[in-house]
Amino acid sequence: MTAVDPFSLAGKRILVTGASSGIGRQVAISCAQMGAQVVASGRNAERLQSTFAQLQGDNHVQVVADLTRQDDLDRVVKESGIVNGVVHAAGITKLVPFRLISRQHMDDMFASNTFAPMLLTKGLLAKKRIAANGSILFISSIASHVGPMASGSYAASKAALLGVMRTLAREVAKQGMRANCIAPGYVRTPMLDDLGQAGGNMADLLTLAPLGLGEPEDVAYAAVFYMSDASRWITRNYFVVDGGLTVPMDIYA
Amino acid sequence: MSNAAQQAFSLAGKTILVTGASSGLGQQIAISCAERGANLIVTGRDAARLQETHDRLVGAGHQQVLADLTSEGGRDHLVQVCANVDGVLHCAGKQKLCPVRQLTETVMTDMYSINFLAPLMLTQRLLQGNAIAQNGSIVFTLSIAAHIGTRGTGPYAAMKSALLGIIRCLALEVAKRGIRVNGISPSAVVTPMWDAGHLEDQKARHLLGLGEPQDVANAAVYLLADASRWVTGTSLVLDGGAVY
Repeated sequence: MTAVDPFSLAGKRILVTGASSGIGRQVAISCAQMGAQVVASGRNAERLQSTFAQLQGDNHVQVVADLTRQDDLDRVVKESGIVNGVVHAAGITKLVPFRLISRQHMDDMFASNTFAPMLLTKGLLAKKRIAANGSILFISSIASHVGPMASGSYAASKAALLGVMRTLAREVAKQGMRANCIAPGYVRTPMLDDLGQAGGNMADLLTLAPLGLGEPEDVAYAAVFYMSDASRWITRNYFVVDGGLTVPMDIYA
Repeated sequence: MSNAAQQAFSLAGKTILVTGASSGLGQQIAISCAERGANLIVTGRDAARLQETHDRLVGAGHQQVLADLTSEGGRDHLVQVCANVDGVLHCAGKQKLCPVRQLTETVMTDMYSINFLAPLMLTQRLLQGNAIAQNGSIVFTLSIAAHIGTRGTGPYAAMKSALLGIIRCLALEVAKRGIRVNGISPSAVVTPMWDAGHLEDQKARHLLGLGEPQDVANAAVYLLADASRWVTGTSLVLDGGAVY
C-alpha cells in the first residue's frame, strides 16, 4: 500500500442522513470502518443510537432529526461542523396506484426524497459547511428505470435528484466540490420488507437481478468510493448499482 | 488487522490480468493493483516498456507476457499463463482521429481489430478455458467517446460503443457464476495517447481539470475489488464533470 491510500476516509468528516436504517445505516458503518468521522442523522433516536454504537473509532456525532422540518434541518447544519462529504441516504417509499395518488402523497414523497436533500445541501453550502474538494452524494433509485407498479410518486421524487445533481455539480466545481448520484436496485433493507408487506411481489425481485438481491454493503461501498479521493475526478455522474437488473430492461439506465 | 470495508477494497490474494500494461493507463492500473495486494499478469507489445511496468510492481510473483493481442497466436500465448484469474482489465487500445469522409477501410479495420476484436476474443478464450474465477471481474476500458459524439472520433467511438454492447450482453451471460462485466469511460487523461495541444483544448471544458492516470486506476481498482460485487453491465464515466 502506498503512503496515502486513496480509498481511505481517515481525516474526513462525513454526514450521513437516514443513518437509523437500511442503506444509510450501512453507509455510516462502512465510512467509519474506512476511517471517517461520521455525523449520523436519522429520525428514530433508538435506531440511530444502535447505528451509532456500531461505528468504529471515536468522535462520531449523532443528530436526531426529521429532515422535512426546517428547524431540524438547521440543527443538522449547525451540528455537522465542516464536513468533507455528505451522503443523502434518507428516503421513504409507499406503494400507491396512480388512480389513488393524492396531493398529500406526492408532497410526502417529494418532501423526504427530493426537497430534504436539496434544502440540506443548500443549508450546508450557505453556511460554508462543506470543505473544499468535498463530495456530495445523492441516493437516487432505479425506480424511474424499472417503472414498478404503484411507484409513480416515489420514482419521480428519486429521478428528480438526477436533475438536481447535474446542475449542482456545475455550481460547486469552482471549490473543487463534486456532486454525484448512485441509483441502487433492490437491496435487503427494512424498506424492502415494508414493500413486501404492502403487497409488492418481493419473491420476483430477489430472483430478477442477474446477481440477485443486493446487500446494504454493496451500496455502502459504492458510497465509500464516491466519498474517497479515489473518485476525485468523478462529478456529475449517475451510477447504477443494481446487480444488473436494469441491463436488459432500460435504455436510459 | 483489517475490517470488512477495508477488505472489500483490497485486492490481496487476487490475480489480475492487465492488457496494454506497457503504456499510459494500463501501466498505472497495473501499478495500483499491485499496491493493493494483487498478483499481476501484465501484457503489452513493447518489451522494454513492459519490463519497466513489471519493475515498478510492488510485491513478488508478478508475470509479464509480451504479446500482440490482435493476433490469435498472441492471445493463445497469453491465455497459457492465465488460470483462475480474478480480474481482467482490458486496457490495450489505440485512438485515431479521422472524419468519416476521409475514412479508409484499412483504418477502420485497424480500429476494429485493436479496440474491439482483440479484447472480445481474449475474453472469449479466457471464458472457454474457465480461466476466470467465480465472482471474478471483467473490465473493459472504454472512453467518453462511447457515450457522446465528438467530431472526427467516429471510428474509435464506434468501437468503444461496440464494447458497451458486449458489456451488457456478457454481463447477463456470466452472472450465474457471479462474474461481473463493466467498463470505465475516461475523458481526457494526461497520457502519451494525447498530444499537448489537444490536452490544452480539453482542459477548458473539464470542471475539475484534466484527469491523471491514477484517477482511472482508482476506478479500475473499485471495479476489480469485491466492493463492486453487485455492479454489472454498466460503465463508470470518469470525466471531471466535462461540459460543453
